[in-house]
Amino acid sequence: MDVLFQQLFNGLTVGSVYSLVALGLTLVYGILHIPNFAHGALYMVGAYITYTMMTSLGLHYVFAIVVSIISVGLISVLMERIVFHPLRDSTPIQHKVAAIGVLLFLEALAHYIWGADYQQMVTPYGQVIEVFGLTLTMQRILIVVTAIVAMILLYLFLKKTYTGASIIAMAQNREGAHLMGINTNKVAMLTFFIAGVLAALGASLTSPINLVFPSMGHLVILKAFVIIIIGGMGSIPGAILGGYILGFSESIGATYISSDYSDIIAFVLLIIILTIKPQGIFAKGEA
Amino acid sequence: MRKALYLMGLITLMFMLAACSESNETGGGDNGESGNSGGQSEGVVNIGYSGPLSGPAAYYGENTLSGLEMAVEEINEEGFEVDGTTYKINLETLDDQYLPNETAANAKRLKQEHDTPIIFTPHSGGIAALQVFNEQEEFIVAAYSSEPAITEAGNSLTVRIPPNYEGYLEPFTNYQMERFGPKLAALPPVTQYGQDWAEALIPHWEEQGGEVVYNSSIDFSKDTDFFTMLTNALEADPDVLFIGGPSEPTAKVAQQARELGFEGGFMVMDQAKLDEMKAVMGGSYEPLEGAIGTMPLVNADYPGSADFVEKYRATHDKDPGSEAGFHYLSMYVFVEAMKASGTVDDAKAIHEHIQDGLDALPDDKKVYEIPSIGENGGFEINTSVAAVEDGQITPIALD
Repeated sequence: MDVLFQQLFNGLTVGSVYSLVALGLTLVYGILHIPNFAHGALYMVGAYITYTMMTSLGLHYVFAIVVSIISVGLISVLMERIVFHPLRDSTPIQHKVAAIGVLLFLEALAHYIWGADYQQMVTPYGQVIEVFGLTLTMQRILIVVTAIVAMILLYLFLKKTYTGASIIAMAQNREGAHLMGINTNKVAMLTFFIAGVLAALGASLTSPINLVFPSMGHLVILKAFVIIIIGGMGSIPGAILGGYILGFSESIGATYISSDYSDIIAFVLLIIILTIKPQGIFAKGEA
Repeated sequence: MRKALYLMGLITLMFMLAACSESNETGGGDNGESGNSGGQSEGVVNIGYSGPLSGPAAYYGENTLSGLEMAVEEINEEGFEVDGTTYKINLETLDDQYLPNETAANAKRLKQEHDTPIIFTPHSGGIAALQVFNEQEEFIVAAYSSEPAITEAGNSLTVRIPPNYEGYLEPFTNYQMERFGPKLAALPPVTQYGQDWAEALIPHWEEQGGEVVYNSSIDFSKDTDFFTMLTNALEADPDVLFIGGPSEPTAKVAQQARELGFEGGFMVMDQAKLDEMKAVMGGSYEPLEGAIGTMPLVNADYPGSADFVEKYRATHDKDPGSEAGFHYLSMYVFVEAMKASGTVDDAKAIHEHIQDGLDALPDDKKVYEIPSIGENGGFEINTSVAAVEDGQITPIALD
């Protein structure tokens, strides 16, 4: 039984990070219908900025994260302005090519600035805690709690505020939102900002349990795409649920079936879900 | 559904693109033309290198290259004389992202464009790819991998630089079994090299009366967190964990195992280095208590190692790993072999004189002591093993 609970907790940790990354991806997709391949690179840049703030400026972990999420949010907005905005009237394939271009640019830039080395981000919350036979570390609890709080805040923002509602409105119908007087430019920038914030937050939280290196974005971005396909492209509850489904299926699958097949399990799940619900779990009418 | 599949296809394409587009050239400089320039007897030898200089293994690639670059820089201060002509070395480096097919393409290019008699490559997949055609195209594969298969293939123009990993199986097994017990959980990395290591180690462990209670591979390019796998491994109550891969993620595995309450020993595959792992684990050997692995270069006491470590620290501002040391040393060995053979472009003749090169190697360049090269082209090195005892690196005597 202990193993089951331990693995559920492990799945929760990993799933929280997956969800955060997938949320940013799905928000951008929902509004602009762009599969933002560069999202993984933003994730990586977020980790590096936190790391640099901690090592060069000696900031506390929490403040370093704050700096990082704001900077990555701004980088993300900048990316929208100088890359995606000028392309708004072109065909989708050009968006995709541009997104890949941004990905390569950011990775090469990180390689140039920080080098190829693995960097170690030291967390002040490394303590190990034993609860009812479960082994937790403060950092892992922090990941889960922060992720859930971030998700609740995002939900409240989208549902309860006027600005948030304008994002939803634009996701539902861009033309209609425009006609209703919503500034679509502003909403697009805001969406990219939130996506950048979520990516940087996910990366900064998870880096202390792994390492920081230029290609670290690859680890999660592929999974984030799987998640938003499972959950329904552009769906916010879908991204959250999908993230946890993937996290749990990996940890539970690895325990009770075989760890060599944990990826297969996740992809079989993807196929089954898509067979039953071809548009994803929370698909909107048209996708 | 179709849209989803389309997207998945695109993502795959994206990664392939990401892989290709970064395979750019680094370093290099001008294409040194072989032959005499002006009236003076001066020439340039092009030496090739193909390794991972971008992508997940870039750090490893840069470490291997740093040793070569250091040697080349030193050698070029004076140049070296072969048959009355003074030569300098021009190192041509290409990036292969750890992909064997890229290594092969790079080697063809190095040979055709720069006529390199020697090509260094630091990974077993790439080495195997080069061994397909290096004899026809006449270049030496300077193979940095302790994979035994690369010398067993009988390739006549291969030089295997590091010691064959089979030499580690016995000391590792004996030490861990005696100190911690007979139950092993094997967590090798999913790479070819890791799998081969595990396949050699597990039968040996069982022959010695041990038991393998858990066996599963870690994929450092996919797993973001090792808790899941370690929870399962530790559930089988092992005395010893077999881990490996690049030093830094390997250290993370060890660290998370300790967090989960593991108190046994670690067998560390030779790719990871204890001193580099220590750096990730808070700069102390304490969490690595009971780990056994290759002797870190900074703790070694060969005639040239202290000198090399000092020079490396001065130029790179960090401790050298064995990759850098072995590459540094082997560049000197090849230069000595060229001198002894009297040619800088006949790969066969150079290969025949490697033993002379080893014999002529000056003491201060002996970062490691390599008495001989075997029939099969592998350097025969006395493997040097160390364990962490009471928070200290302790050499383990081999019989």
